Amino acid sequence: MPRRSEVDGTPLTRHAVRAGLMGGVGIVYLALVGMIQAFSGTSLIGDVATLARLLILFPPFIAGYVVVRPRVQGGETVTVAPIRALTVGAVTGLIAGGLTAAGVALVEILPEETVRNIFVAVTTQLIDIVTFDRSTVQGIAILIILAAASGALGGFLGVIRLRIRRPIAVGIIVVLLLGMLQDVFRVALIQLGVPTAWLYSARFGGLTYLGGVVVFAVAAAATLVWADRRRLARAQDEEEPAPDSRGVGQRPTQMLIAVGIFVVLALLPVLLGTFLSSVLGRVGLFLLMGLGLNIVVGYAGLLDLGYVAFFAVGAYTTGVLTAAPDSGSSIHVGLGFFEAAPIVIVIAVVTGVIIGGPVLRLRGDYLAIVTLGFGEIARVLVTSDWLKPFLGGAQGLIGIPAPSILGFSFRDPQPFYYLALAFCAVAAFISWRLATSRVGRAWTAMREDEQVAEAMGVSTVKYKLLAFACGAGIGSLSGALFAVQIGSLAPSSFSILISIQALAIIILGGMGSIPGVIVGGLVLIGLPGFLSEFQEFQLLIYGAVLVTIMLLRPQGLVPNVRRMRELREDEEAQDQWAKDLDADTRRAFSAESLGGPPA
Amino acid sequence: MAGAAREAIPRRAVGRLSGLPTRRIIQWVLGIAVVVGAALGASKTLALNTFSASAWRDLVVFGVAQGAIYALIALGYSMVYGVLRMINFAHGEVFMAGAFSSYFVARTLDHSGFLDDNPIVALLILLLVAMAGSVGVAVLLERVAYRRLRGATRLVPLITAIGASLFLQNTARGFFGAQTRGYPTPQILGGSWTIFGVPILRAQVIVIVVALVSVVGLSLFVARTRTGKSMRAVAEDKEIASLMGIDVDRVIVTTFVIGGMLAGVAAILFAIVFQVVGPFMGFIPGIKAFTAAVLGGIGSIAGAALGGLLLGLLESVGPSLFLTGFHIPGPNQLRDVIAFAILVLVLIFRPGGILGAGDAEKV
Amino acid sequence: MRKSRWLTMVALVGVLTLVAAACSKDNGGGGGSTGSSGASGSAIDCDTVQFGCVVYGPGEPIRVGTLLAISGDVATLGVDSVHGVELAIDHLDGKFDATPGQLLGHDVTLQQEDDLCSKEGGQSGATKLAADPTIAFVIGTSCSSAALGVADTILSDKGTILISPSNTAAGLTAPSQHQPFYLRTAQNDAIQAKVVSDFVFTKLGFTKAATIHDESPYAAGLTGGFKTFFEGLGGTVTDEEAITSTDTDFKPLLTSIAQTHPQLIYLPDFNPACALIAIQAQDIPDLKGVALMGSDGCGASTFFDQAGSAGDGFYLSGPIASPGSTTSALSDEYNAAYKDQFGSPTADFNANAFDAFNVVTDAIKTVAIQGSDGSLSIPRVALKDAVFQTVDFAGLSGTLTCISTGDCQAPGAVNIGVYQAPDAPVNPATPDAKPIFNEQLTLAEALGQ
Repeated sequence: MPRRSEVDGTPLTRHAVRAGLMGGVGIVYLALVGMIQAFSGTSLIGDVATLARLLILFPPFIAGYVVVRPRVQGGETVTVAPIRALTVGAVTGLIAGGLTAAGVALVEILPEETVRNIFVAVTTQLIDIVTFDRSTVQGIAILIILAAASGALGGFLGVIRLRIRRPIAVGIIVVLLLGMLQDVFRVALIQLGVPTAWLYSARFGGLTYLGGVVVFAVAAAATLVWADRRRLARAQDEEEPAPDSRGVGQRPTQMLIAVGIFVVLALLPVLLGTFLSSVLGRVGLFLLMGLGLNIVVGYAGLLDLGYVAFFAVGAYTTGVLTAAPDSGSSIHVGLGFFEAAPIVIVIAVVTGVIIGGPVLRLRGDYLAIVTLGFGEIARVLVTSDWLKPFLGGAQGLIGIPAPSILGFSFRDPQPFYYLALAFCAVAAFISWRLATSRVGRAWTAMREDEQVAEAMGVSTVKYKLLAFACGAGIGSLSGALFAVQIGSLAPSSFSILISIQALAIIILGGMGSIPGVIVGGLVLIGLPGFLSEFQEFQLLIYGAVLVTIMLLRPQGLVPNVRRMRELREDEEAQDQWAKDLDADTRRAFSAESLGGPPA
Repeated sequence: MAGAAREAIPRRAVGRLSGLPTRRIIQWVLGIAVVVGAALGASKTLALNTFSASAWRDLVVFGVAQGAIYALIALGYSMVYGVLRMINFAHGEVFMAGAFSSYFVARTLDHSGFLDDNPIVALLILLLVAMAGSVGVAVLLERVAYRRLRGATRLVPLITAIGASLFLQNTARGFFGAQTRGYPTPQILGGSWTIFGVPILRAQVIVIVVALVSVVGLSLFVARTRTGKSMRAVAEDKEIASLMGIDVDRVIVTTFVIGGMLAGVAAILFAIVFQVVGPFMGFIPGIKAFTAAVLGGIGSIAGAALGGLLLGLLESVGPSLFLTGFHIPGPNQLRDVIAFAILVLVLIFRPGGILGAGDAEKV
Repeated sequence: MRKSRWLTMVALVGVLTLVAAACSKDNGGGGGSTGSSGASGSAIDCDTVQFGCVVYGPGEPIRVGTLLAISGDVATLGVDSVHGVELAIDHLDGKFDATPGQLLGHDVTLQQEDDLCSKEGGQSGATKLAADPTIAFVIGTSCSSAALGVADTILSDKGTILISPSNTAAGLTAPSQHQPFYLRTAQNDAIQAKVVSDFVFTKLGFTKAATIHDESPYAAGLTGGFKTFFEGLGGTVTDEEAITSTDTDFKPLLTSIAQTHPQLIYLPDFNPACALIAIQAQDIPDLKGVALMGSDGCGASTFFDQAGSAGDGFYLSGPIASPGSTTSALSDEYNAAYKDQFGSPTADFNANAFDAFNVVTDAIKTVAIQGSDGSLSIPRVALKDAVFQTVDFAGLSGTLTCISTGDCQAPGAVNIGVYQAPDAPVNPATPDAKPIFNEQLTLAEALGQ
């Protein structure tokens, strides 16, 4: 690759300065928002590398990487010489560290009250952490040096070959994951009877140095081997092209991977103990919701921001139908869970059709705000005093019994997880079959160009309603499980946040992709559940993840192939619709309005 | 894809294909049911005569004042939508940023007594600070999150905006703490003035007057000035506008700036009326303001103003007027239901909003 | 071809599920501690007794869980209770000297969880603490909504004591709903509702009142209790309304209430709603002269910060220490130590938290089995029985006797006082304020039994 000392025409140093300043802002931001202090208690490796310290060194690392990574310029990929990359990275890190050091100095100089009154996170404890528990001057010096080193490391990784970079990156990520999920893995290993003293330090709670090195080596080596293996396979492919893979089901290795994933999912609760299994149960709930929403948003392309309405319908119907007489509702039917489930689904589907009917004509953003309204209406109705005699009002419902089979009560975390998993498997199966059937093709046609689909004889209304109905049914099942999991319902659980979480799961994983929903669920619900420090910042990270994914990889982590192509094309359907309204408006209104389509 | 084919298909043929008649009947039935229900409730309530005339008058004034604040925020939504065709879900946080930035200044002014001694000057300072804070966040959003997504499909900028909204709310929570704080206001704002024999709270008068001035000012700006005309041009067709020599990027940033300024004004008005700030204070007003913008007709100034006013009135007067007659317990809890029900109705019959072009035949 | 592959996979999953479920029942159920039962010849065998024992090796700290509202707008309540517990740990050595003492030769550490003042918080926090076999007992929750049907059930199912310093909703100790391992040192709100209605009817002489609750079990319990008692005295409740705690605009609601002409509005909610209503009520001409009253949920330092001078005249009810109790010397030391270490209290329940900790640790001292090697075993059921047999415990918040339904303040008379803002102890400006009215009732007296 040609080596230049310029990137995009501006000298590298200016890029480095800019990236360094951004990196410094990043560190300061993490400090001000409280993350650094919150994570200072978790040590990842030995007693030196706490999560807080790694977090401090992360922005300079990224900054160094971004400055020197190869990019396409004038038709060819340019990069920077390795030595120069190291120095540039170091300079970037230096600037980042310098900015942070300036911030620390500022805090030390200003009276504590002034800063503390505005930014609550700036405490003496925070300053101690940022100065690595040394005196101010020493600490700042260490900070700047370490930041420069991180920047250099980032720069280094930015320019080495992919074949070397990937194992190193994967190795680092795996070490970090094992360190952060120490509770999970340590418990799992203990349950399996594997000695963990060499891997996890009992005193500090993180990986031991030996453990860290071993994990890094193993992960890096595995990545290297796997990458080489795949390269060989791809070379073979080019001689005999394979049919278009539609996800799971086609090639033997993929089948094996799928079965392997199922086995792991099935065995997880056994390994993880009760608390972690309850986290997994929650993951299962959201997975089910994600699968339902995936049909509405991913397959049919309808933007639904009020999915919590179906969730609430399912939960409250189950509650009312199965609860004991004292539940807070005047209705007492006393069915069992599995008897009530079909009724719940039917009621939810009817609700879905009633809600969906009038509004499915609306496009994109308007549908979004209307469905948002429905979600809010659902929440208000279940909280209201008006419906209190039936739904329990603000007190909610209590006394919802847990179903049991063969002596296992499904309120215990492990059996609950299996119940959720079973429902998810069924929902996934239904989704998959729908996607590959005539209905799925109709949805795809509708999604890509509605008016042409209409012209071809596809009744958009019918298929939109079908999507809504399926989504409603699956969402209501998820609500039913939720009612059973806690045994009582409080209206505060049914806020817009649930709709947003479900949407985030399928966005992150990849719309229209079932494996994507699973990955999204594990990352967005599982990780915060396992990492208790993250819970405080869960929504902050959600927001950042959503923005980042949309900017960098809108097709999601495990994208659906067809969808990826759609996202890359310019879909101007709504603009066209809006523009049509335009013509009428222009005639109807004076120049005072903002012009443009008012609708 | 098949643009030519699209235009070639006559509308009525398309309508017949999607089974329109049944749906139309259901829609009309729903609409009539809601209207009849509302009228019935209103007549019953008035028959009960539990509310004095002055109470209704107060409710109307509250609604107008609340609506004025919604209108100012809704204008920001409307303008950005007009230019970029995207919902800036994070606009509520732009509003919150203005409130918070002015809060810290207000606190200092309050402690030193300046706030009560020179209220007008102090309020002007706070207004400037709030506008600066809001504009700062708005421009940041545009630069970091929205600029790269100009050509993307409908869903992508919307999700980005939702993510930005969550991020900003929780950043504020991390920086400043989750609790709600009291916003100091000058003492002369307490009490009321009597206008045309109607006692109205001073704070509310200020809110209504300022909102009116802003709306009129904005309309004039958009209609008369060069920047305003550029904004309208970009709103109509971005590509042609840029071909005509308009700097599209600059116009978009200006739009965000103006939207931010309006949000800053709304923040000060909110602080004067409700006297609280908190990191999550922008979320619900943001959703309500967006509802108002859609209700009135998104993309037009008059629409946003009308929508805001209407929503404020519906929330204030609606529950008492429509629901007390039916003896529904706790009617004020259901005010969001009323608001959204009206929204859905409006959108069913006029998909563009009240002031938007209403073509119900659209598929 | 594809279909049969899928069917095989589904069948495989089904088989695996059954196998794993069969194995999991053994792993999950007995996951508690089954440690050795100490060498000092006790009659309790930790391996066979129900729920087993909590075992600490020599030198290991005793871990106490707290499930309190430590974040958000209600943090004033939860953090205040945490401070009470911390002072109790400090006092283990008999002195308030900011150094923690030891219990039976072991340090005491806290595992703090957030109850988020909601059902979800109660559920997740309780599940986490219940799954940890080294937690001896849990102090919590702050809000009744986190306990009722959630935390109390989850922890009782695992044999872990949950003792609350500030849950006041009556339902938690109702015979039909009470969970076996749940107790509280906070008063039953039936008492507070009765005192409030007595104050409004007899002291203020009002016969018409309206209520506003914020949909929490705590507030709804108080307004419901108030209605019962007030109407029993001969008063009328003219309007019952509800708000959401995140609302900011109450003027239409207040206008609506004003039309029913009450003399007082009782709003036992939380801040900032109380403060906002205080401010906005001034703008409703029809509410001129109508008094406003809240309870301990409003009685937090944030009320004064948010309402400012608009809050003057607002009545606040809350528990106060029994006058003339034998522990008054201790309570003076305690109050001084609290101010020293944490500044002024931000809520009314820190003393209850202090008492909650001590009630259980006293019981631990009687039932714990100390091994000759310095280990400690605490049998869970024996501990619960000992706590429920607490009689005439001299606590800061009153003389505590725990009855079978979990109320430790029941037979003892609870003293509820009414303050008028700005003269309230939770106002940082007036920490020594005296109540304008107080009444001491037992639960039985309140319920008219």
